[in-house]
Amino acid sequence: MGVQMVQLEHVTKEFDEANVVDDLNLDIRSGEFLTLLGPSGCGKTTTLRMIAGFEKPTSGKILLNGKQVDDMEPYKREVNTVFQSYSLFPHMNVFDNVAFGLKMKKVGKEAIKERVTKALKLVQLEEYGNRKPKQLSGGQQQRIAIARAIVNNPKVLLLDEPLGALDLKLRKQMQLELKHLQQTLEITFIYVTHDQEEALTMSDRIVVMNKGKIEQIGLPREIYDNPETRFVADFIGQTNIIEGTVTAIHGDTATMDFAGQSLEIPKTQDMALNEEVFISVRPEKMRMDTVPFEGAINLKGTFKEKIYVGSVTKIVVTMPSGKELTIHESHDNIEELTNTNDVYVSWNTKNTVVLKK
Amino acid sequence: MMRPRTKKILFSFSLLVFLFFYIPILFVIIFSFNDSKLGTVWTGFTLDWYGSIFQNKQLISATMNSIYLAVITTIISTILGTLAALALHRYTFIGKKSVEFLFYIPVVIPDIVVAVALLAIYGLLNMSLGLNTAVPGHVAITISYVMLVVLARLSSFDNSLEETAKDLGANEWKTFWKVTFPLIFPGIMAGALLAFTISLDEFVISFFTLGPGDNTLPVLVYSMVRLGVSPEVNVLSTIIIAIMFIVVFVVGLRMRKGGDAK
Repeated sequence: MGVQMVQLEHVTKEFDEANVVDDLNLDIRSGEFLTLLGPSGCGKTTTLRMIAGFEKPTSGKILLNGKQVDDMEPYKREVNTVFQSYSLFPHMNVFDNVAFGLKMKKVGKEAIKERVTKALKLVQLEEYGNRKPKQLSGGQQQRIAIARAIVNNPKVLLLDEPLGALDLKLRKQMQLELKHLQQTLEITFIYVTHDQEEALTMSDRIVVMNKGKIEQIGLPREIYDNPETRFVADFIGQTNIIEGTVTAIHGDTATMDFAGQSLEIPKTQDMALNEEVFISVRPEKMRMDTVPFEGAINLKGTFKEKIYVGSVTKIVVTMPSGKELTIHESHDNIEELTNTNDVYVSWNTKNTVVLKK
Repeated sequence: MMRPRTKKILFSFSLLVFLFFYIPILFVIIFSFNDSKLGTVWTGFTLDWYGSIFQNKQLISATMNSIYLAVITTIISTILGTLAALALHRYTFIGKKSVEFLFYIPVVIPDIVVAVALLAIYGLLNMSLGLNTAVPGHVAITISYVMLVVLARLSSFDNSLEETAKDLGANEWKTFWKVTFPLIFPGIMAGALLAFTISLDEFVISFFTLGPGDNTLPVLVYSMVRLGVSPEVNVLSTIIIAIMFIVVFVVGLRMRKGGDAK
């Protein structure tokens, strides 16, 4: 770790006069598992395709292992891609598919056989060399696509939503397999996904993108626990975003007015009196009761409904302003509530995340 | 479920359709063995015509001419048609729709128009007609078919396969020959076969643009039947039917095999 493997400097990509990727700056370290996360159309796939060489940036620089590559043809770059559609050559058997890259590099026959066999073993499909891609299941095809990429010992492996077409159970299993594979091979992985859970599970670092820009870069924990912007808070997991005005500032806390009710929030540097403020509180950090809470936060509202979702019970409380708060309770102690009951919502001030404007 | 009566009607109807198709052909085959100079009355069985057809120098040279024309036409049309299809599939350029449209026109335009137009050009250029003067016309009417068939094949082609090949270190040239070409080859073959049959069968353009001494099979047969259908024409047709039957049978057999493997 530590060495910069991929560097993007002020990279912009225009399509039809719209910036799909807008002035992107990103350093990716050697051996890291980095995920580009965002909704569809956020520019994450375009970013990946520029690193692979399928798209040229409109402006800006891309460096690969210190060398500028943005004008280099894809076949000259030391990166390999795993596509969402697997993209296995249907007219070749599994062995020839995996051997394709090595044959292009004119590796000797014996060496090819050895390396392909090793790669197939790594993905646990060494018995399948003679099969055609069509004769394999989706998960097996995906493994072959991965073997075909890693057999070339790329410096960077690019993965474009590689598990998107698999069913949930297989996807979970493949997530762990991929993570282990990355740790064994010590190759830099750049992974594109719109599935936040997948990103949280696998990544060393996550880059959250929106509208061609980076919203936040951080460890999975940081992204989840301390989202910096409204978009990140909303996109990663479920959250309650509360809007209000700063009415007082003391030491390291501040008081916020939320539609007539006061609550305590942590003070941040750019906070000013009488200014608008947005906070985010995760549903699992909130508590609800029928009697008022002692302490700095005690919001009154009316019970709307509860939804049993297995691991938790979701409770929806309507605030006087009409705003709805969602609370996850792990136990079911609200059996007799109806939607005329007054209830109280509270949480620990330190679980409040103040969002950037 | 189909009612028994409906079933019967459908069956008889299908039978009639097949009879309509095959009875004339059956007559041609039967009368190729007829021992009579005038082919309309059955007078007895003979294999004489099968011997004499191979003595007929005119017929043999016309056959060779037809095959020559078909081969040249197929080669030119297949190469140009495939390249055109690749260009239309891969690139977007100004006037792309118009270019595509221009490829559809030869499919619907009557052959006679192409024939007359070519003849006018040859006259303008003061060119003397020969066997090769029929080539441009044949190419003109077959190239569109090749283009359309290959384009249809390309539309089901996954473009990310080409990107994958490049990603794995193949340059443009290798990507084409190792990935694109093998995958669109069935389309190219189908287009080539279509071009070959159309050229072999072509009458109007050949009739107008061939030199006086040069005959293709359809042109020769036309001049032969003007004096009544001779048994030799029946023999020729029977041989062609036999060849086609074998070709279709073999292709069908291979396709079934290919289907089983999947």
